[in-house]
Amino acid sequence: MKRYLVFLSLLTILLLGGVGAAALQQDTPAAQSGKKAASSSNSSSQSQGTTGEEVFQANCARCHRPPMSISPRITGTIIMHMRMRARLSRQDEQLLLKYMAP
Amino acid sequence: MGSRILSFAHQLKWLRFLVVLAIYLSIFWRLNAQDDSENHAGHVPIISGGAGYLHNVDGGVTSLEPQVSPVLLVPFGSHVLLESRTDFLGFFQRENQTTGPFKGKIFKSVDYAQLDWLANTHIMATAGKYLLPYGLYSERLEPFWIRNLQDSPIDVTIGLPAGGSGDGVMLRGVAIQRPSYSLQYSAYFSARSSVNQLQAARTAGGDASIFLPHPHLEIGTSYQRLLQDHEINSVSPYVSWQPPAVPIDLKAQYDYSYYGNGYWLETAYDFDKLPIPPFLQKLQAVGRMQQFFPLNGGGNDLPRINTQRFDFGLNYYFRDDLRIVSSYGRSFSSQQDANVWNIGLSYRFILPLWPERKK
Repeated sequence: MKRYLVFLSLLTILLLGGVGAAALQQDTPAAQSGKKAASSSNSSSQSQGTTGEEVFQANCARCHRPPMSISPRITGTIIMHMRMRARLSRQDEQLLLKYMAP
Repeated sequence: MGSRILSFAHQLKWLRFLVVLAIYLSIFWRLNAQDDSENHAGHVPIISGGAGYLHNVDGGVTSLEPQVSPVLLVPFGSHVLLESRTDFLGFFQRENQTTGPFKGKIFKSVDYAQLDWLANTHIMATAGKYLLPYGLYSERLEPFWIRNLQDSPIDVTIGLPAGGSGDGVMLRGVAIQRPSYSLQYSAYFSARSSVNQLQAARTAGGDASIFLPHPHLEIGTSYQRLLQDHEINSVSPYVSWQPPAVPIDLKAQYDYSYYGNGYWLETAYDFDKLPIPPFLQKLQAVGRMQQFFPLNGGGNDLPRINTQRFDFGLNYYFRDDLRIVSSYGRSFSSQQDANVWNIGLSYRFILPLWPERKK
């Protein structure tokens, strides 16, 4: 029983440490300017509906680190494969294609 | 003579089927040209996958495991995709486990070879050998270049009989999509097969999950009924959450079947948002705890006694496709406690197989 508690404590520390570190990061000037940019992009996306970037950020990280870059030449094939795996809608696929291979 | 006529009729039937299939594929290809008019995405065949090496020490026994898993993706337009993954895994251990020279062999297995028809948002159909859509691991986290810890959970075989692949048909898609949520499903039937590289169990099942895009939260459940020998049910609810404000990935799953039940809880934290030197921002810390409690004697690739295991991992990403993986785990059971060490390298590759066609 003791070892479960020890491990649970370590997991909690890892989790809280991450949350705390991210909160600290959000207070830095760079993060605040990023926050402003994000909020302005959010307000513009709310008026225009979901963007490809939002679909990318929300879905890719469900399973893996989002790739830094993919050649437009192969993007269509990759997105088809990901659409099958992540059960994405046709609309999400089109938004991702516009975002990744404009 | 009669059998010759039958054989000719059979061949004619196949020929007709192939002609109809070719016509359908060419129609899809034409449709594709219209669909992609708003972007420059190419649909060329590619070979992707991962290559890696893992040095594993489990209870004092060392294993050397080089691995290559090419994934072949051949699109026919933007609605039909042929995809396949083959694993080549080397497994080498010392002759007497702890002493002597290393000996072993290379295992080859076809994980899936399937034809997908991406009809629309609501229906995507698959035929062939496919990965059973059960829980979080089988389809999504199983590739070694994706998973954060190289060892799978101890109860990962629940819902994944005969190696985790099925031979048959599968439907999947998005049942409902709204800006604040989407409801996703999979349903499949697999026939029993003992053909080499096509081994599968007779099963039917499905998976349903709700995904909330704003909090990046997914909650789902998988169900499966094994339709051979003992007709047993397996069920696994799961949750996956990547809170947008913090670089944390939380995943948890509970598994129940006739042979036992258990759970695992995994969290990964990326250092990339921390105010630390850039070379340290490439680190990722991982933790996992899991317990398994056998029922009806356990077995079927599951522990026969109560087992607990804790793992800690530290991964270093040189790039998003190249990383060093390492972990330490300790397994507890009434038979023996054991340390498990892993260190290795994984690389994900993507290569186009031929040039993009001119538009």
